[in-house]
Amino acid sequence: MTDSDTRAHTYPTPKLYVRIAILLATMTAVEVGLYYLEPVVGGLVIPFLLVLSALKFLIVIGYYMHLRFEPATLSRFFAFGFVLAITLYAVVLAVFGILAVVIG
Amino acid sequence: MAELTPEMTTEIDETPAHSHEGTGVDNRKLGMWVFLSSEFLFFGALITNYLLFKNRPGFPPPYPKELYDIPFTSVSSFVLLMSSLTMVLGHTALERDDQQGVRTWLAATALLGATFLGGQFFEFSEFIAEGLTLSTNPAASSFYLLTGFHGIHVAIGVLMLLSLFGISMRYERLSEHRGLNVELVGLYWHFVDIIWIVIFTLVYLIP
Repeated sequence: MTDSDTRAHTYPTPKLYVRIAILLATMTAVEVGLYYLEPVVGGLVIPFLLVLSALKFLIVIGYYMHLRFEPATLSRFFAFGFVLAITLYAVVLAVFGILAVVIG
Repeated sequence: MAELTPEMTTEIDETPAHSHEGTGVDNRKLGMWVFLSSEFLFFGALITNYLLFKNRPGFPPPYPKELYDIPFTSVSSFVLLMSSLTMVLGHTALERDDQQGVRTWLAATALLGATFLGGQFFEFSEFIAEGLTLSTNPAASSFYLLTGFHGIHVAIGVLMLLSLFGISMRYERLSEHRGLNVELVGLYWHFVDIIWIVIFTLVYLIP
């Protein structure tokens, strides 16, 4: 059995990919709606937007990039760069006092 | 140099030359994931740069946030999201060895990517017409740097998709076993999409 054969049995079906696309599109629509609700809802919009963005990010990585179905080695490599970047730039933003403004 | 015939290509393609027993992962795929991981640092720097300058006062207007056309950018974001769907459907078609399906989905992905780039070109044109140039203020510079570099990544992705499409037309079939393959290009393409997910929220939607 080749690598390709193995993957064919473990990766999601086209039907699931389409459902995920509908979910991502819906989440994008909600994000845009929240943007227009900002004058009404206020600062709560920012955490909601960040959570939605993070969820979309994880869904694409997990399903479209198949990270959920790959060996843990790949997840570790990817997480290393991601965590390093987030930590480094969070420190930079915190130093400049911008992080507090972004999070509200 | 003798030209490769499709028969010769098929023979070469069946050789799984990149497996790695230590990690259990194709070396090319591992390399792509490491590259994408390093790209977080690259785009992280550009996003941080923009966040640092976007509201900094004391520079001549306009600032990018004053000119955003959110409905237009939302449609662009939707287009890029849907290109991730067409990309993954192309990969699925390849797993079924549906070569015509692969070509169709690759072409659709390239078309959606080109549409996104067209939208970005239009947005930049509008901004420049409104007086927001690269040197107007630090917010403008960091905005163009971030979105421009993302656009360059999309353009490279479109070129890779068109290359795969051309290879597919030339040799009648694509293989996952050798050289530039659909899965690697797909990983790159989805990464460009997730970076836009972050940019769309942090740059355009968060006040």
